[in-house]
Amino acid sequence: MRTKLLTLMLASMVVLLSLSIAGAQERVRVRWFVGLGAGTDGPVITQQEAFVAEFNASQDEILLVLEVIDNAQAYDVLNTQIAAGNAPDIVGPMGIRGRASFEGVWLDLNPLIEATEYDLSDFDPALIDFYFVEGEGQLGLPFAVFPYFIMYNKDIFDEAGAPYPPANYGEPYVDWNGVEREWNTETLRDLALYLTVDIDGNDATMDGFDTDNIVQFGYGTGYTDMRGELTLFGAGNFVDEDNNAQIPDVWLEGAQWIHDAMWVDYFYPNGIYRDSDIMGGGSGNWFDSGNLGMHAIHLWYMGWGTSSLDSRGIPWDLAPIPSHNGEVTAKLHADTFGIMARTRYPEEAFTVLTYMLGENADTLTRIYGGLPARISLQDGFFDRFAEGIGMSDADINWDVALQSLSFPDNPNHEEGMPSFLESSDRYAETWNLVLQNGNLDVARELEVLRAELQSIFNAASR
Amino acid sequence: MELNANLIVGKRRPNGRKGMSASQRREAKWGLIFISPWLIGFFIFHLVPMIASLGFSMFSFTLSAPDEARFVGLDNWRRMLFEDPNTWITLGVTFKFAFISLPIGMITAFMLAVLLNSENLLGRNLFRTLFYAPTMVPLIAAILIWSQVLNPQTGWVNRGLDAIGIQALGAGGLRWLDNPNLIYLAYTFIGIWGIGNAILINLSALQGVPTELYEASKIDGAGWSRRLLNITLPMVSPVIFYNLVLSVVGLLQYFIVPWVLNGGSGYPEGTTRFFMVHFYKQAFTFQNMGYGASLAWLIFIIGLMITLALFISARYWVYYAGERN
Amino acid sequence: MASVTSVQKTTERDLARVTSIDVKTARRRRNLLNQFAITLLAVILLSIYLMPLAYGGITSLKTSAQASDSRAPILPMSTTALPYEGRQLDIYTVPIDGEMLELALLRAGRQSSTFINPADLDAEPIEWEGNWRQLEPVRELDVQWSNYSRAWNAIRFARLLGNTMMYALVTMFGTLIASSLTAYGFARFRFPGKNILFMVLISTIILPPAVTLVPTYAFFVNVLGWGGSWLPLIVPQMFGNAYNVFLLRQYFLTIPRELEEAAYIDGAGPFRTFISIILPQAMPALTAVALFHFFFAWNDFFGPLIYLAGSRDLNPITVGLTEFNGLYSSEPNLILAAAIISMILPLAIFFMAQRVFIQGIVITGVDK
Repeated sequence: MRTKLLTLMLASMVVLLSLSIAGAQERVRVRWFVGLGAGTDGPVITQQEAFVAEFNASQDEILLVLEVIDNAQAYDVLNTQIAAGNAPDIVGPMGIRGRASFEGVWLDLNPLIEATEYDLSDFDPALIDFYFVEGEGQLGLPFAVFPYFIMYNKDIFDEAGAPYPPANYGEPYVDWNGVEREWNTETLRDLALYLTVDIDGNDATMDGFDTDNIVQFGYGTGYTDMRGELTLFGAGNFVDEDNNAQIPDVWLEGAQWIHDAMWVDYFYPNGIYRDSDIMGGGSGNWFDSGNLGMHAIHLWYMGWGTSSLDSRGIPWDLAPIPSHNGEVTAKLHADTFGIMARTRYPEEAFTVLTYMLGENADTLTRIYGGLPARISLQDGFFDRFAEGIGMSDADINWDVALQSLSFPDNPNHEEGMPSFLESSDRYAETWNLVLQNGNLDVARELEVLRAELQSIFNAASR
Repeated sequence: MELNANLIVGKRRPNGRKGMSASQRREAKWGLIFISPWLIGFFIFHLVPMIASLGFSMFSFTLSAPDEARFVGLDNWRRMLFEDPNTWITLGVTFKFAFISLPIGMITAFMLAVLLNSENLLGRNLFRTLFYAPTMVPLIAAILIWSQVLNPQTGWVNRGLDAIGIQALGAGGLRWLDNPNLIYLAYTFIGIWGIGNAILINLSALQGVPTELYEASKIDGAGWSRRLLNITLPMVSPVIFYNLVLSVVGLLQYFIVPWVLNGGSGYPEGTTRFFMVHFYKQAFTFQNMGYGASLAWLIFIIGLMITLALFISARYWVYYAGERN
Repeated sequence: MASVTSVQKTTERDLARVTSIDVKTARRRRNLLNQFAITLLAVILLSIYLMPLAYGGITSLKTSAQASDSRAPILPMSTTALPYEGRQLDIYTVPIDGEMLELALLRAGRQSSTFINPADLDAEPIEWEGNWRQLEPVRELDVQWSNYSRAWNAIRFARLLGNTMMYALVTMFGTLIASSLTAYGFARFRFPGKNILFMVLISTIILPPAVTLVPTYAFFVNVLGWGGSWLPLIVPQMFGNAYNVFLLRQYFLTIPRELEEAAYIDGAGPFRTFISIILPQAMPALTAVALFHFFFAWNDFFGPLIYLAGSRDLNPITVGLTEFNGLYSSEPNLILAAAIISMILPLAIFFMAQRVFIQGIVITGVDK
């Protein structure tokens, strides 16, 4: 019995061993690592696998291998792979944060671009600059952009008897009293208060409003961090030109605005509500719960984000980002793929990269729900996109998404900082306090943050 | 045959190590043969990585830039011991939680095992399976379940308390993961949920206690609590010892719960700044594996000293029926 | 006299019988009471203990809309709806002229809402003054069993479970054999450096595994070329593991030596003694360790995640579950349904394995 078992075990080991050896082939193996951004959900993995299979069938020099790691673990796994000398060749899709989290590991693409005379004229030069880092080079090429906009739940507006937000940038909002108002953060606040309702049906503008039993919120910004949320009030960064820590004035205003929205006005889900069942039960998807009136979100939300609303037949639409102090800032997400500097096959990896960014970017951007950065592919994109996500009949105001591209945040809200990982971690701590602590002195806490960022920056420059 | 019997009875000649008798040599040989699977595995799979990690602690080693690693001697150790206040803060947090959680966890696991071993319990198999069930919940689901059950607004815990008249909801309610006075209680709850293995181990030891012992003591008129104290506890002390060592090591390495439920931020008020959270941030989040390695080896040294102390103390309270006199 | 004696005897006998019956019933009654009390205690403890799991189970049977309904009862209920011109209208109990009517909400408003009567669709819509949120919705039980089939179909469950099963079983047998041999060596034999070696063994538990991750990974993937396969996870287990060795040593030390000594005197070698004397006596312990390891392997997550990167077909269920948990789109209901499916098999195994436990008692009981 025991010998049988041993034999069985040995046999299974031999089979496994030979399987892993059989994987080695004459083609050059190029490993593509997915996990720093989109691409880790079951259905999307399958689509990416099909994309890889298609590439592998299209030629016989390169064997592209897909490695998908759940986002929560992807940073650790990639770190381990790099540290152990087993880094992948291509990494992506990823945003600026993904790139900035791994300093000095990316290959400068310029020599390859020049050697292959790769045509860049189909890209917006500003977007190419997005991936140029002084001292490191061209670390990526534009792949997809994800514009930012307000999504709103039409049923919630109808129930309140409030007119919908404007359809275009520059248009005013006509409120439920017929008053015409600029579409700015002040208007957003008043509208959101009106859309926030407690369990008895009182709204947040009323006297008897019960802050302990809110069932519907007016506004919330989802899926982003401190810099992302504050960019609604203006673009900025925690570091100035001289590498000193700073809190931009608009961000101080913005942090106070959001803290008040959560803990004084209660129209924005605070720490008590943000992960509760009525706000999507920890999935982070507030808008899909049907209990949020307006949500600032990127294009990548489309296609999966509203599945519950769509199945319930609840209509939604897109609106412009409101202005603050007369200025609109619609933060931009732009994804790319990077090649690792330690790759043994830079040419082959570049071949794969150009395959991804060329004609096939049309397929890939639709897998990830992004607007192709390639200008020639943008024509009629939203028609195809709406059809792809089953929304062709819904008459969505896609045009506002395109308009948003004219108001990008510069500097970008994911832009680097000295000791990027440590300073990111530090400001996340402060933001957590803003979200969780109703008694916080926001201005004082931000000053603490500035001082501590300063010492992190000082240590980095030493 | 006499030789073989000596092997196990172990008649030792009173002369020291030099003059090992043939039977002692034989015994040593067999001992090494028996432990050889582990010993070989240790040399192949564990020894080099352990030494390498100790080596890391003397390097400035950024995970994403392995080529730029450079030797810095004891710089990391000096920073850890004398410059980084977080070393001692996080150790303090770790020990504080361990002192709360360890006794509660150990006693609960033992008492539940006694309950599940009781002859008077109807449907024992079903109860044992159900008490074990939470241990089987995959991590990703367990995280989801706990963050929702403890949610201040819609969580079942607060809704239940609210239903019996305790003010639990809203801004003035019980915010389990946000209140520094409640957080360890919440973590201890969560810990108790995962003690299926400790119950299982206790249970299998309880079943090894010979029933005659109980019967004899019943005849002597000993009550339930005296039997528990005089028979059960000594008889299962070897596995209690095992559970104790593993609990101590587990608590020194306490990490996942604060990492995922409180984001590794130390929130609220630094109460969740555990030592391993500190390690993990340094080694992986900040990619500073050199410094991380020195932290890991510090917790190793502390853990080893506690374990040694436990092993020494075991001579006085752990009863091994098969031990040589 | 004789008859008197006999009568007396009979009475005594009867009396004795009566008391013995009394004692027996009393004991039985006490036993019953004990059983009832202990079982009740267990039920109470269990219901507290399993409350979070119950939350998970019930949530796995809801739609996301049911889960986020702020006034929903605990069970998966939905508001009864009336299909009307392509829409689903929720039905509420509306007080009209002192009567409670069940009406469908056509248009919700803050001050007044419009209802229609499901029984009479052609009638004029009813305008109702007041806040509809204060009305009681008409609910019905609406359990989403389909979440389970959706979860099953969304990821390749059969394959994932098969991989997990293979890993758990192979390493369970491997580690059981290697660990029990090693534990026996540590428990029964004297050899130079034994205590130090045992502390070295324990050290492999005390050193946080995260710090040896990078060199271990480099060794398996770069030196041995085992990346993308199960080998880095399976082969080391064939050499035992410290947790199991330690635990089995603890058990072996509780086994009295008399039987082994007898076997040695009968001429059995150490291996035969180990197999024929020690292993049978240690059955409960071996079962515990086997289960212990089986469940550890079943839930093993980070190892498979990192070593199997790039080989999706080889993934175990724990890694497969992350496909429900993308960066943005996570579906709690499906994660919970999938998690519950993945627990059923090991729990069934646990339930079955109880037989071995019971047998274990008998064996040790006889031996002592």
